[in-house]
Amino acid sequence: MATEKLADQLAGVVGERFVLMRPSELLVYNSDGLPGYRRKPRLAVFPGTREQTVEVVRILAAAGAPFVPRGAGTGLSGGALADDVVLLGLHRLKKVISIDAENRRATVEPGVVNLALNRIAAPLGLLYAPDPSSEAACTIGGNIAENAGGPHCLKYGVTLNHVLAITAILPNGEIVTLGSDTGEREGYDLLGAFIGSEGCFGVALDVTVKLTKKPPAVRTMLADFTSVDDAARVTSAIVASGIVPAALEFMDSATIRVVESSIYAAGYPADAAAVLLIELDGLLAGVEADVETVRQICIAGRAREVKVAANEAERLRLWQGRKKAFGAMGRMAPHLVVQDAVIPRTRLADILATIAQIAATHRVTVCNVFHAGDGNLHPNIPYNADDPDESERVHLAMGEIMRACVNAGGSITGEHGVGLDKLNYIELIFSPDSLEAMCRLRSAFDPERRANPGKVVPIHSCQEWKSTPASMRDTAGAVA
Amino acid sequence: MTSTIQERVREAGAAQTPLHIAGKSSWLNAGRPVAANETISVADHSGVVEYVSSDLTITVRGGTTLSEIASITGEQGQWLPLNPFGSHDGTIGATVATASSGPLAQGFGTIRDLVLGVEVVTGDAKVVRGGGRVVKNVAGFDLVRLMTGAWGTLGIITEVSLRLYALPAQRITMAMDAPTDTRRLAQRLRSLTDAPIIPFSLELVNDELARRIGLAPRPAILVEFGGNAAAVSAQRDALAAIGTAIEAPAESWERLRATAVSAGAVFRVSGLPGGLAERWERAQSITGAGQPAMMHASIGRGTVRCVLPGELTASAAERISAPHSDDTMIFETLPEAQWASLAPSATADRVSQSIKRAFDPFGILNPGILGPTN
Repeated sequence: MATEKLADQLAGVVGERFVLMRPSELLVYNSDGLPGYRRKPRLAVFPGTREQTVEVVRILAAAGAPFVPRGAGTGLSGGALADDVVLLGLHRLKKVISIDAENRRATVEPGVVNLALNRIAAPLGLLYAPDPSSEAACTIGGNIAENAGGPHCLKYGVTLNHVLAITAILPNGEIVTLGSDTGEREGYDLLGAFIGSEGCFGVALDVTVKLTKKPPAVRTMLADFTSVDDAARVTSAIVASGIVPAALEFMDSATIRVVESSIYAAGYPADAAAVLLIELDGLLAGVEADVETVRQICIAGRAREVKVAANEAERLRLWQGRKKAFGAMGRMAPHLVVQDAVIPRTRLADILATIAQIAATHRVTVCNVFHAGDGNLHPNIPYNADDPDESERVHLAMGEIMRACVNAGGSITGEHGVGLDKLNYIELIFSPDSLEAMCRLRSAFDPERRANPGKVVPIHSCQEWKSTPASMRDTAGAVA
Repeated sequence: MTSTIQERVREAGAAQTPLHIAGKSSWLNAGRPVAANETISVADHSGVVEYVSSDLTITVRGGTTLSEIASITGEQGQWLPLNPFGSHDGTIGATVATASSGPLAQGFGTIRDLVLGVEVVTGDAKVVRGGGRVVKNVAGFDLVRLMTGAWGTLGIITEVSLRLYALPAQRITMAMDAPTDTRRLAQRLRSLTDAPIIPFSLELVNDELARRIGLAPRPAILVEFGGNAAAVSAQRDALAAIGTAIEAPAESWERLRATAVSAGAVFRVSGLPGGLAERWERAQSITGAGQPAMMHASIGRGTVRCVLPGELTASAAERISAPHSDDTMIFETLPEAQWASLAPSATADRVSQSIKRAFDPFGILNPGILGPTN
């Protein structure tokens, strides 16, 4: 269908001002939180209600139009963009439908901002545990799409572990309930399959999440080290000790320096080679004992100093530096490439050494700021995308870093998703048969593959599998 | 070897021979009747593939039993905090396939929260992997979740990677009387969930079950605390502030798990956790008098599990089939004839049917166990 005709139809549902077509208006939707990728949608539509969203998706289905669902656009995998698609922005759907303090759950629309939900839950002594660093802007719908993590996912688990039910509209316009917001549910875990499907399976209309009782006691510590290696070994030692910190974050000297010279200065020692930000929570008595154990592990691992935040203000300041580190890197260069490979936690020290070597070889600056406790690296490289030579070196360095992580037994992404950015790496960790199985799963939700086309699994992996048992039988017979 | 299983599945596919998938064959009567004469067992496909204890992760073959995992990890001071009903002789493959969890789900989540990766052989004999061996991973569409709880109908689980925890320095089991009056029970449950405790397990048991596990024959609340000495002692004090609690044998949990054996019917009634006291009362009226039923409930999750020993009587079947407010009933064991009327299918929706066809195009994997095949 011609774009203008489609735009007219959509405007009839959402109103003219919520359909954008002019290239200048669409510019902001050409990229997400990873500005190295740019794609041009044909138009953008922003429904304001659930009913409008349903109508919009059904119009797109009737028109056979590919579309990309998008929340706040803070994603870090180039996942919420594509050429020539209809961009379906969901940030206007920000109703908190219900909060049930007794049963510790909330039902919200997909455009509700992560932190906004936490602000509502806090007075009830509750919190929504997944806390991506973009929490002040990112939406619950986007968190669902990427199965978002965050520092506190070390102890509390990622988005997947905190969602009870989703009402979703599938690309064909069918409305389905996934999971259950009341009791258990039997059958295939379609909810689990939907979470983290990167917008390829459908659009969430409402989401019921678990809220967690606020821990009675929280202690936040900062340990600083004169060697990256020591900090990495201490991380592995804390994990191996069996204590599960609420968070265990690592920042190297490049990150410390840029944070400390920014408005987000957190008081990290500027001459440290690395710092660990460690948070322990739980019952007061147990936490105090764990703080002492962790302190001893740090000292034994040659920490120069271990500081415990004395009050909430100090605690928040320590966290500010970590949460705003990506933003602070904007001071170094106009663009930033962010990876989030995961490695076994025993391999931290040697992988960090490898990353340093790769950075030196390709003359790039790597800022390591990451969720050390679960081995989820974020080697970030600030660079100038307009400099082709530098861009090429960054690209080569990132590829080598990714391969090193995979060779260590890791994964290519811990929380940001595959999107466009890691499409070329997914074959490093999954066989053609496994990738094809993933395509089969996608096709059950979206046989036409119109939702977020070209993401997660490379198109060549999705060979058409035989649809009738008869032809399958012939194939199997031939093989056997 | 996975290739042996793969070969067997390939042959079965070519011959259109349905397969009943088994672990230790200790729970073959669970779920709906399987329309298959041949059984494929993964019990011999066992052992550790990789165990890096300092990473707190382990990868084992599907036929490895929970007790083998417990003994291997225990040597390193670690454990898989998972105690599904039945016994520790069950295999990890069957546990994941049936998404079985036990009382420890209160503190550590269900099997879904502990599985990091799987390898399966699909119905068209492909070896497919989902997830990985690291503790955090969002690469690719989530085949791990898809396979967990699919009862083998999408693939035979040949390998599982799991998240482990360190064994706590201390563990203690406490028991307190549970009020029989529904309103007072609700208050007691509320004070437990609001209390400054983070229990490993928190389970309500009825008089019959209390008796069978060696406690005084009256309704009780069983609590397990674990952690460092300070944390355990503080929680003990917090529990005492709610009501009189006595120390109970640690074996109580094993006995609780073992009670579901050779029952006429086993089912779970679930709903909002805050409505547990009322649900408990309704479940009591469902199980009825006659041969005393065993009942227990996960307080944090709000799920009541009922075990009806012996033959399921006609009147009991009638009570079970009557509508029960907004509660969800999930059956684990039923007489064959009852399934069709009580719980015909768990996968009747279009998406589930489409997934089934895609992963098991010949319909040979455990046909019928989740409902009539396509």
